[in-house]
Amino acid sequence: MLSKFEYVKPETLEEAVGFLGSHPETKILAGGTDLMVLLRRNLLITDHILDIKGIQDLDRLEYKRGEGLYIGATVRVNEIAENSMIQKKYRALHQAAGALASHQLRNRATLVGNICNASPGADLSSPLLVFNAKVHVQGPEGKRELKIEDFFTGVKKNALEKGEIVTGILLPEVNDGDTSYFKKQSRVKGHDLATVGISIRRTAEKETLVGMAAIAPTPIRLRELEKKLKNRDFNEETAEWLKVEIKHHLKPISDVRASKEYRFLASGALGKKIMMAMIEEGVK
Amino acid sequence: MCSTAKKKGNCIEYTDSGLPKTAIRFEVNGDNFEKKVDPTMTLLQLLNNELKLFGTKEGCGEGECGACSIIMNGKAVNSCLVLAAEADGASILTVEGLGQGNKLSILQQEFIKYDALQCGFCTPGMLMSARSLLDRDKDPNDDEIKEAIEGNFCRCTGYIPIIDAIRSAAKREREELK
Repeated sequence: MLSKFEYVKPETLEEAVGFLGSHPETKILAGGTDLMVLLRRNLLITDHILDIKGIQDLDRLEYKRGEGLYIGATVRVNEIAENSMIQKKYRALHQAAGALASHQLRNRATLVGNICNASPGADLSSPLLVFNAKVHVQGPEGKRELKIEDFFTGVKKNALEKGEIVTGILLPEVNDGDTSYFKKQSRVKGHDLATVGISIRRTAEKETLVGMAAIAPTPIRLRELEKKLKNRDFNEETAEWLKVEIKHHLKPISDVRASKEYRFLASGALGKKIMMAMIEEGVK
Repeated sequence: MCSTAKKKGNCIEYTDSGLPKTAIRFEVNGDNFEKKVDPTMTLLQLLNNELKLFGTKEGCGEGECGACSIIMNGKAVNSCLVLAAEADGASILTVEGLGQGNKLSILQQEFIKYDALQCGFCTPGMLMSARSLLDRDKDPNDDEIKEAIEGNFCRCTGYIPIIDAIRSAAKREREELK
């Protein structure tokens, strides 16, 4: 039995923001795959639930040449996992979307919901980090844009102010020759939370970006590691070096899913595997 | 059971706990329904308690086990994680809608032929995930079958007979339903 709440389903963003302004403790419902579990366990008790699936503007999944890929707040994870354009241009995001939970959950869960929950292990966080995604926010004070890196502020905490809502995420355009790869380690294949999640992107200009999840209180970019990779070619030697080096840049904890030591080892192994896979594809 | 309060011209009904009910229209297995539901009711509870369709099972109630899988607007989802109110305007297929009258569907026949069940609790959900797979891919390979049922737990069969049944059903559907 769920606690008492009122269900509201506005049709415009203005209505939604207005409602959030007058009822600041409202919980937003998109896919509901996390919210419903919290409600059921009575870990969350709320008086109002705002279903945003009636707002058409939020359902936009669109790629514009020169601008990039826009993913609205109610776009489901499976829409990303089944999109061949995303597979081609933003492969790490495509791979992470396909690896999230089960088919049924991917049909409900949204990318924006995954990010707003701000779990340290959020599967879709590391690809967004390496693509320098921008989070579009609307609230009582109007619109603003946040870098994805600044969006995660702590374990299950995000940078949204009271009454604000994430309307979508923009992944800036990537040039030809840009490639990326996502891998995660979990206890069983499919349908499990990540023990370690990692995305590596190599731009056409040979810049390397590394994003990771489940190895610190928030998903993070490994900026220092990226600097060290700057003047290195992708080859077997670099992959071996990465396997050992990566642990100096992580702050994992031991929890029910894995020990700290295991996370260090898994991070190194996944980093090396990704680099070897990229080398095989001809990345230098 | 209608108060004098009016909203958009409709009368509002209240739940026992004093919440305004949500009016929804939806279709289940080809039949149309109009209901006023408690906003805290899940779609699974609506199917079980209001429509008396007991085929869809509650296992974990948290989206892990897949026993409550149904097809909503063409997509397999866990009905325990969907509010009944969210089903407004939806077209829903449950296990009761797979066969026609007393004639089982090919998929159901193959589950029986391959002994793809023992206790049977996971079967309705397993069938719905399999139906959803065959709707989007007429000739899935074993990896695709496994991926399609990764959100459905079976604690009896060890999955192998289930995979065999789905593979065989796909073949029969390709041959018999043209």
